[in-house]
Amino acid sequence: MSLWSRIMGEFPRFRASVIKDTRIILRDRQALALFLIMPVLFVLILSLALRDAFGDRSGASFPVLVATEDKAEVAQGVIRALRANPHIQVAVAEHATEGQVRQWMQQGRYKIAVLIPTGASEQARRRVGEILAGVPPDLRIEKPVEVRVLADPTLRSDYRRVLEGALDLALHGVGMRLGREQLDQILRVSLGKHYVPLPDMEKTRLFVPPQSELVTRDHHSLITPTSVQQNAPAWTLLAMFFLTVPLSVSFIREREQGNLFRLQTMTVPAWVVLGGKAVPFFVINQIQMASILAVSVYVLPLLGGDRLELGNAPLALLLLGAAASLAAIGFGIAVSMYARTAEQAASFSSATVMIMAALGGILVPKAVMPPLMQSLAVLSPLSWGLDGFLDVFVRGGGILQVLPETVGLMAFSALCHGVAILHYQGRI
Amino acid sequence: MGVPCAPALQIAATGQGRPAIEVKDLVKRFKPDGSPALSTLTLTVPHNVIYGILGPNGAGKTTLLSILCGLLKPTSGSVRVGGLNMPGAAAEIKHLLGVVPQEPALYPTLTARENLTYYGRMQNLTGSRLEERVQACLDLAQIGDQANTSVEHFSGGFKRRLNLVIGLIHEPQILILDEPTVAIDPQSRLLIHQRLRELHAAGVTILLSTHYMDEAEQLCHDVAIMNRGQIVIQGGVQELLGAQRDEVIQIRLDRDPPPGLSEALGKLHEVGDLSLSGRCLRATGAHTDLAALALMQALKDAGVRVESMGYGGSNLEQIFLQSIDGDDRQ
Repeated sequence: MSLWSRIMGEFPRFRASVIKDTRIILRDRQALALFLIMPVLFVLILSLALRDAFGDRSGASFPVLVATEDKAEVAQGVIRALRANPHIQVAVAEHATEGQVRQWMQQGRYKIAVLIPTGASEQARRRVGEILAGVPPDLRIEKPVEVRVLADPTLRSDYRRVLEGALDLALHGVGMRLGREQLDQILRVSLGKHYVPLPDMEKTRLFVPPQSELVTRDHHSLITPTSVQQNAPAWTLLAMFFLTVPLSVSFIREREQGNLFRLQTMTVPAWVVLGGKAVPFFVINQIQMASILAVSVYVLPLLGGDRLELGNAPLALLLLGAAASLAAIGFGIAVSMYARTAEQAASFSSATVMIMAALGGILVPKAVMPPLMQSLAVLSPLSWGLDGFLDVFVRGGGILQVLPETVGLMAFSALCHGVAILHYQGRI
Repeated sequence: MGVPCAPALQIAATGQGRPAIEVKDLVKRFKPDGSPALSTLTLTVPHNVIYGILGPNGAGKTTLLSILCGLLKPTSGSVRVGGLNMPGAAAEIKHLLGVVPQEPALYPTLTARENLTYYGRMQNLTGSRLEERVQACLDLAQIGDQANTSVEHFSGGFKRRLNLVIGLIHEPQILILDEPTVAIDPQSRLLIHQRLRELHAAGVTILLSTHYMDEAEQLCHDVAIMNRGQIVIQGGVQELLGAQRDEVIQIRLDRDPPPGLSEALGKLHEVGDLSLSGRCLRATGAHTDLAALALMQALKDAGVRVESMGYGGSNLEQIFLQSIDGDDRQ
């Protein structure tokens, strides 16, 4: 009898196994609701909470206090430049002392402040004069003007870097302007009627302002990454892999109840027993993915979040979803073969999934990981799945582009299922 | 009980004229250099008997049953079931066997009917045949009115009844039961006993592992007592009881025994096993007359009078206790 005939001959028993396991799952309604609702809630909450942490959003801004007793060029230049920065909301406090500013920060009113000292503009002007007069550096009287930044330790470091960069640019611009004004005055006096005003370098650009071009798989889709594009696939994958916990526990319960023993006294092939359990969990995985994607597309925008852009390759998404689910199910079944108790299976599989998730860029995006951790991420099947989803969502990829990740997940699934079947048959 | 149970009992009796189970020089080691769980064990279960496997915990009963069911491979020795060699013909043998595990192997959230239907499907029953067998098994277990109730709501007795009939769903020729009546109510126990007798009458060979000696004595035609991986006694129940009958001395004392009497009597070298329960003293000895004389002398020395004395009254429990070592009796 050919292999195909044997498989088809076992189909009625396989169907009966699927029906049995589906009934068992459907009768545990609380657990079923948990499987389906929890991941959706996670995606909603995290996508909204992390909305401003991703991408180039105009709303991603933070407040900065500018405390100044100077009202001239330095203060004006700094305030004008910071106000022009879309990531910074400027509040100005005139005549505030450093002590007051520190007190406000300790009270939590501000997380970061710029201190412009008294007479900063005058000091800067004198220093420019010395430089233009050719006074050697070691003989100059005026020190560089010290504009300071006070920051709360809990403030995100990237916010500090944004402010420091913007401030440096603003001060550089002020210096250029003061230098041009004084040089202009010197030239007017020395050239007399031959004087021609210097061009305003601030208004004359030598370089095109740099702006990142996002590299995509095709030239038609250009989607700015948002928190939902990280969170929706990440939490879909985590939810899929977390099903390994109930899957392995249900398998061990079946063993503890003696049902596996009884089945082994019959002529039921291992794949019928294991496959019967895999199919309902596969369906749950697909429902999880569909509901998370639907909520991310239709519900999240209603709550003020970004809409998930699904890309242009629905078949690639289906392929990835199926491969990720099979990988998760294979892992759960393999765990259940080796765990002695349900408690052991639950704790081992949940801990392992969390480690794979942390490693694979699910909990923390890979982009913010150091290079070593980014290279280790390749060890996690969740990372493969996430890369595949991001290929479709962000980089405009299709089936061909997600094929490497899909093959990886399928190979992982085949390995786990193979180990489980051999163990079930008592061969390993 | 008056329940129509004919469908469950239409067993196709094949293999007549040869033993249902033949085990020869069976050895099972779980570790290559470990002590054997089964040690050169030889056992013959005739066709159409109820055969009891008795023994203390760790005697090797479950290992033996697991090998017979095809779940474990023997280290050496031969096993034939229904005339077929294990493990070569394991698949064919599994069709002949019905297995009833010690703990009810059921899906708690499924109903009784769903459990039976599922296991029936796993035994390759389909369509109307499956429906017939499910109904027959529900009737046989007398749980027809609870057929659509989740098993988790069943009493222990109902679960054991269902556990038994699941093993019968495909009408096996050989039924292997591991402690089928542990911790159940007397009514369910009686029903299971009755069903086993009916199955035997219908031609089924039954291999029964049990701790209950009275159950083995009532049900089994033959028994094998196992200890430390070996069979220490085997044979027909009546023959074993008859052979041992004259070796038991029963003495009734005229008053409650004084402290230390049991220990004093236990030291008599003419006396084998001894039990003292209230005023009833039961003892065995290789030579019962010498043992009786020694006992009476010792009782006299202890100031206890004998109210009555007799011989015989041996039962399977005493044979069981005599056949295993003192340490195992604990």
